[in-house]
Amino acid sequence: MFVPIAPRPAPVPTRGPVVWLRKNLFSSPSNTVLTIVTGTVVAFALYNLALFVFVDASWGQVWANMKLFGVYRYPADLLWRPLAVAAGMMFLLGAMAGVGGRGSITANAFFAFQGLVGLLSVLAVLFWPSVRVLWPMVLVAGFVGFLLGRARPRVVRALPWAWAAWFVLGLVVLYGVVPGTGPLRVVPSRDWGGFLLTLVLFTGIIPSFPLGVALALGRTSRLPAIKYFCIAFIEIVRGAPLIMWLFIASLLLPLILNVDANSLPAIMRAYVAITLFSAAYMAENVRGGLQAVPRGQVEAARALGLSAWQTTMLIVLPQALRAVIPAIVGQAIGLFKDTSLVFIVGLVDFFRVADLVSVQPQSLLVTGGVKLEVFLFVAVIYFFFAYRMSVASRQLERQLGVGVR
Amino acid sequence: MTTSTVQAPAPDAPVPFWRNVKTLGIIAQIVFVLLVVAGIGVLVNNVTTALARANLPADFSFLRQRAGIPIAETPIRYTVTDSYARALFVGFLNTLKVAIVGVVFASLIGVLVGVMRLSTNWLVRTIATVYVELLRNIPLAVQIVFWYAAILLPFPPRINNPVTLPGGILLSNVGLAVPWVYPTYRFGAWVPWLVGALLIAVAVTVLRRRSLARRDVVGVVWPFPVVAFTVVAVVGYLVAAGDRSLPPGVGVDFAADRGRGTVYREVDGRRQPLAFVPVRVSVESAQLRATSQNLVESRRRVDSTVRFPLVHDYEAEAIELEFADPAAAEAAGYRLHFERFPSVATVYVDRNGNGVFDPGEETDPDTGVGYNGVEVVMSLTGFERVVVSDRDGQVRTPIFAVPAAEAAESEPAVPAARGRFSAFGQAAVQQASESVLEAHTEVLGVGPLVVSRASIPVTTFEGGARFTVNYLALVLALVIYTSAFIAEIVRGGIQAVPRGQREAAMALGLSPYQTFALVVFPQALRIILPPVISQYLNLTKNSSLATLAGYAELFVVASVVSNQTGAAIPVALLLIGSYLAISLAFSLVLNNVNARLALVER
Repeated sequence: MFVPIAPRPAPVPTRGPVVWLRKNLFSSPSNTVLTIVTGTVVAFALYNLALFVFVDASWGQVWANMKLFGVYRYPADLLWRPLAVAAGMMFLLGAMAGVGGRGSITANAFFAFQGLVGLLSVLAVLFWPSVRVLWPMVLVAGFVGFLLGRARPRVVRALPWAWAAWFVLGLVVLYGVVPGTGPLRVVPSRDWGGFLLTLVLFTGIIPSFPLGVALALGRTSRLPAIKYFCIAFIEIVRGAPLIMWLFIASLLLPLILNVDANSLPAIMRAYVAITLFSAAYMAENVRGGLQAVPRGQVEAARALGLSAWQTTMLIVLPQALRAVIPAIVGQAIGLFKDTSLVFIVGLVDFFRVADLVSVQPQSLLVTGGVKLEVFLFVAVIYFFFAYRMSVASRQLERQLGVGVR
Repeated sequence: MTTSTVQAPAPDAPVPFWRNVKTLGIIAQIVFVLLVVAGIGVLVNNVTTALARANLPADFSFLRQRAGIPIAETPIRYTVTDSYARALFVGFLNTLKVAIVGVVFASLIGVLVGVMRLSTNWLVRTIATVYVELLRNIPLAVQIVFWYAAILLPFPPRINNPVTLPGGILLSNVGLAVPWVYPTYRFGAWVPWLVGALLIAVAVTVLRRRSLARRDVVGVVWPFPVVAFTVVAVVGYLVAAGDRSLPPGVGVDFAADRGRGTVYREVDGRRQPLAFVPVRVSVESAQLRATSQNLVESRRRVDSTVRFPLVHDYEAEAIELEFADPAAAEAAGYRLHFERFPSVATVYVDRNGNGVFDPGEETDPDTGVGYNGVEVVMSLTGFERVVVSDRDGQVRTPIFAVPAAEAAESEPAVPAARGRFSAFGQAAVQQASESVLEAHTEVLGVGPLVVSRASIPVTTFEGGARFTVNYLALVLALVIYTSAFIAEIVRGGIQAVPRGQREAAMALGLSPYQTFALVVFPQALRIILPPVISQYLNLTKNSSLATLAGYAELFVVASVVSNQTGAAIPVALLLIGSYLAISLAFSLVLNNVNARLALVER
């Protein structure tokens, strides 16, 4: 006689949203309570944030002052110059991304920036007549660079020189060449500001790199005079905060160089302070890398007959620098954030523009002021760039780690 | 077995000095030193000529001059007539005040968030991740200004309408005030007991350690020294507090119509202020007046609001409020609605006639603004408040006025008559002088410690411990910013503890909490502490951004001093020296910690 066996219970699902919820949010009574309590708090906070952002906030002042946030007092008819520099940067970034290929760290970073440029291009086409053509050109420059990099991967060799050329040419283009009037007239650095100035100061990390490497090599040198000089420099500079060095540089640089205080623009004093400060930190990062290079590498190089100079430049430094790239990116993030301190020498960077906008007469007409709106906007922009860099740094760390093992 | 001798190539031919590494090194160093010395010489020469040309001071003699820098928040006594040196010292103490409080709270929040990052609960984990990523990637300067100018200045209500939290904590847009314990003139009687308690605690510690060592057992760690210390200290406090007599010659000169007085002690005919003694101020009947106004509070326009100094309804037997001109108010249809009886009220016109206040009724529909300039009188009967004198012996209350009716009876010509009262010994000596403003004061006897509670006599916090909004914003921003970094260090440290440790602890039957607190965290601490200490140093250095919150710490004071005196070089040297000293102190602590944490290997 056929007796059907009782049906087996359906298998417990091991995937799907319900399982995920049970595993991650409601795995135990205490976890359930935790989820409900924190969930309520988060929902309340997000609701209030949304209420503020979409209902209560008055974003008009932020929108009306976009040019100030971007370039401060840089002449409106010369906006093509900073945007040409931006186009150059996107072109080079695009070339790097193209060489790296889809999914590489540089490509990810490039497309994130390209997204921002795209957004700005749309806004420019719709609302900003003076840069209606220029922003899309920046976008195009990025794509051209990307295609070039994909088509001819060998441009990678020329890239360091291209970046150096961009750095020098960019400063020339921003500053101008002829006094007086015309499209190439000089724009004094006191008119630079906003995000443009933040980026210009951020490039202080470029000259700080060779300085930092030199200091690191000096610190590991066997010659006591050089070693202790480097130790003293690094430790004294790292011992005090950047804001103090900026302040001291603005006071003392004219005295030290014995020049008239007005002939030394504030941007130059800030740049010197930022570069030297950054170099001291760079030196410590590089030293970490130098110590990580196995002794055998040096000994092998010497055994092969390489000179001390060759050993350092061809064997030790390449390995040391490769190991500390994540740390250097981390330092770059720190420096990017620290450029906000130049308000102390009277420069009007992106952060300081926010303050100026919040005390404009039109801002004071708004009940309760617009400080919250303005500083939220600034925070979001800083966050975008810093977070993008930290994502890249993490990817880099993962990649390098895999390579070492 | 064969022995082979290696013949070294006879290095008879001397190496020429330009190929001798040693000589080359020495030459290189000499050249380097010469270059450095020459460079420094040129720079020093430049500086001295520049200083001489600009006629700026180059030595430290300016430090003794009168500073004239107002500092809102001073841990030690400081006035604008003090010297530059003292102003700088106050700045240094303010830096420490930020650093110590910041380090404590940043550690607590950092550990909490770091542990949250490893939670099995997705929501908790995600919140912690967002917290860390968000705060690490926004410049500290932006965060300080955000907390200061965008949150703490506009959002908490104004000073005369503070947020009152349980325990007598007051928060307003000028800052935070909390009850605080201060040592009184009787503190000296307690000191011997404290010293004794400390000695006993040390003795107990030493004895226990010895006896445990002798028996070679791991005892259950009872906090015997702490218990011994507490018992002796409490007994001593009770004994010392038993005698509550006031020292001879104590009095208070209090002017009710100025709302202030000084507690003093007369020694050899001279009055010295007496700090931290409670004074009971009683006013038989008095008035406070306020006028309705429009203002912006918590980013909203508040119309027709009447603000009195903060008076609690339990502080008086009877409180009555009425319009100064009842007839005119009646004619206009004004009524009073209390947000906080009796100090915060709204003038409104009951337009819809339902007898209660409805939002919108405080605004005049014709003009679009509130009913401004309506005077309201608060009549207090039997007002009594115990005020603890501050460190300068000052006692402050609201500025009372003579009740209008009585003033008219006695002295119609003088609206604000002045009453001066003093009290000697424990019982108050009342002297009704020329004024009808019935107020008397009584200095109360007190034990070694006194709890001072905050009050708002006029438009400032008095009593308690007060923190300006500048300090709060700075500490808040520093704590939150640093805690994000500490959280990442804590997470890394906990993850670095081998899995086997956790599993072994669980296998031994330890609860999840015990596993974490007794096994995992102590081992993680070894990895966590060194980088966390460098974060503490960062926090201390970052406090130099105080200028963004208007808080006078070392760097801010120094920059003001430099601007005032032009002594750029000496101030720069002082600043560098101070920060190097702080860094050095931290690295000493770090080395000590590293030495203690080093694994003891057998």
